[in-house]
Amino acid sequence: MDFGLTQPQELLRDSIARFLAQDVGIERVRRVMDSDSGRDEAIHGQLGDQGITGLLIDMDLGGSELGMQEAAIAAQELGRAAAPVNFHSAYVLAPLLLAGADAGDRRNALLEGIAEGRSLITPILDAPIDDGRIDGAVLYVPDAPWSDAFLLESGGSLHLLDASIPGIAIEPLETVDDTRRVAEVTFSGIDLGEAESLGGSADSTQRAVHAARIALAADALGAAQKGLHISVEYAKERKQFERVIGSFQAVKHICAEVLAEVDPVQSLLWHTADAWDGGSDEIDHLAPLLKAHATEVASTAVTMTTQVFGGMGFTHECDMHIFYKRAGYDRQMMGNPTALREQAASVMYA
Amino acid sequence: MDTSIGSEYDSLREEVRSFFAANEDVAVPAGPGFGGDASEVRRRVIEWQKRLVDGGYAGREIPQRYGGAGHEPDPLASLVIEEEFQSAGLSLGMENQGISMFVPTLLHFGREDQKQDLIRPTIRGEMIWCQGYSEPGSGSDLASLRTSAVLDGDEYVINGQKIWTSGAREAEMMFALIRTEADAGKHAGISYIVLPMDTPGIEVRPLMTMTGDASFNEVFFTDVRVPATNVIGRPGQGWEVGTYTLRFERNMLGRSNATESYVAGCVDILRETGLIDSPVYRDRLLKLEGRVQAMKYHQLRLLTDRLKKRDSGAGGLIVKLNNCQLNYDICALAIDAMAERGVLRRGSKHVRDYGNWQRNYMYALGLIIGGGTAQIQKNIIGERGLGLPREPKPAAA
Repeated sequence: MDFGLTQPQELLRDSIARFLAQDVGIERVRRVMDSDSGRDEAIHGQLGDQGITGLLIDMDLGGSELGMQEAAIAAQELGRAAAPVNFHSAYVLAPLLLAGADAGDRRNALLEGIAEGRSLITPILDAPIDDGRIDGAVLYVPDAPWSDAFLLESGGSLHLLDASIPGIAIEPLETVDDTRRVAEVTFSGIDLGEAESLGGSADSTQRAVHAARIALAADALGAAQKGLHISVEYAKERKQFERVIGSFQAVKHICAEVLAEVDPVQSLLWHTADAWDGGSDEIDHLAPLLKAHATEVASTAVTMTTQVFGGMGFTHECDMHIFYKRAGYDRQMMGNPTALREQAASVMYA
Repeated sequence: MDTSIGSEYDSLREEVRSFFAANEDVAVPAGPGFGGDASEVRRRVIEWQKRLVDGGYAGREIPQRYGGAGHEPDPLASLVIEEEFQSAGLSLGMENQGISMFVPTLLHFGREDQKQDLIRPTIRGEMIWCQGYSEPGSGSDLASLRTSAVLDGDEYVINGQKIWTSGAREAEMMFALIRTEADAGKHAGISYIVLPMDTPGIEVRPLMTMTGDASFNEVFFTDVRVPATNVIGRPGQGWEVGTYTLRFERNMLGRSNATESYVAGCVDILRETGLIDSPVYRDRLLKLEGRVQAMKYHQLRLLTDRLKKRDSGAGGLIVKLNNCQLNYDICALAIDAMAERGVLRRGSKHVRDYGNWQRNYMYALGLIIGGGTAQIQKNIIGERGLGLPREPKPAAA
């Protein structure tokens, strides 16, 4: 019995945290937030150098062939740093969908590119493919303006469409979380023959979706933990009525309640990632339950810890809103808590 | 991550299962489905407790010379036993202030003769204890207590009053915090004293609680004489001994063994009423499931800390706060699902599960308050867990 991270996993966590603290500090995050495009071009290569993009990719394709536990560690640290990257999409969903595709040189080359941080492949689930044509608008697509290719999934089948093909229009949407942007992608009657068919299966798609949800849950947990950390530090410094505000029970109890809710989520995350890695059937209810619970707790946490800052918490200058919005994005994407609780219930109480 | 328990525990599993088979006649179920006539319930619980002690499942780590099974502490063996009891739906035995709080304290601070005399009957359910801590003027600020003992020859003479004393009328014995040195400091003048409840001068008055049970009492002391040797630890060491006991109270009240049985009972009600198909009820149930599952794996994390002899920090401090609230919320959902039937209490025609849902709903609220209120728990979490400063003492007027 050793419930928790192994020593190598703790070392991985510490090394990712160190890298993010040194190279992806909050000033850099803010520069990306304040930019028009929301793009951090360099980060993909840097994450590739650190081995973070290839955690779920086989060793012979340049990855480190680790599992969901390691991917969740990375996602949690990226959330804690509010790093400007859609890790769940580019480095969890995309490589896992490709891993379930037919083996071949093309698939291998794509995975190698992801592992190196050279290729940005954006998956689109339930893509508008009908009657041999790709036709229709898809909303809320992460990273779309700078994706190299779209990996279209429909009924478990995968089709790779180069982003430079004519007939693709991309319109960025204004998103609340400035660290990660989404766009509307419109495909105008593109012949499916323009895309490369890569095989795939409904089962491996489902498994990849579970993994992406675990990553979003981990991101939300990291953001909530960081929000609690900075609010507790603030409560130890800020004085009113000649006392630090953390000595007032009204403030102290907010912090205690948030800790009491957030801390057990770590254990549920570890268990769920472990169930994914072990191929347990439990994952069909655990992954949606985890994402629902973790993001619900994170929403409450950031709502409460923002109030610890008083008026400062409502300003752009205070970092708290970055984690508040981060948790909000994690909550809405790929199934909100209400929808995912229903999904878990349909498995548990069929 | 390694959640395996190891095949060396397989024989223990077998042993527990054959114990169940051999003791089926008196086995006490866990969860809401056990109840009925109070004296029959009590007889069964005590009989089951004796079998558990003889089988080595209760008092497992208590040395044999004090009546226990004398096993080395082994959190994994305890986990295996808990799992087997849980999957069989059986009670792990009595959890009360004597067994769960007093005995570990006595093992740590007691004299040999005290251990010899008191542990065996306590763990067998033959000697019931109550705790004399709180006083009318000393609740959360326990160390301000005023019940006093004055040394007269080789006896203490005790005067004062305790309150919220659970089980005082059923108890044979009390362990109490009593001020023995009036001039020492607030914390330094307290001693931890044990006394038989039939000592002349003790008067117990029941306090009816909101559950309808008179499980609380007031206890009055008028010139109650007990031997000076009844102190556990040294005279004046009572605050240290007493707070050591409270740590076990936090663990006892925070234990989640019954939580999953209650969730299962709640699901049964939702299925019977058809509400399992209602999106609103499903959503509430799944919100609870998220918290239940998170706390379940949180316990495995704490168990791993114990195995590695590592301090769990804030992780250990949140358990009582979370689990008491969680048990309360599970009962609330079950009662809602019963609609009007949810107003019935024990003894009524048509009542479900002996009225245990209503009783435990209110009892859980009592536990949210008792054993250090939720608000005091939040102070502890904030101060010890997060390093926030204590509330400053008000300036003298």
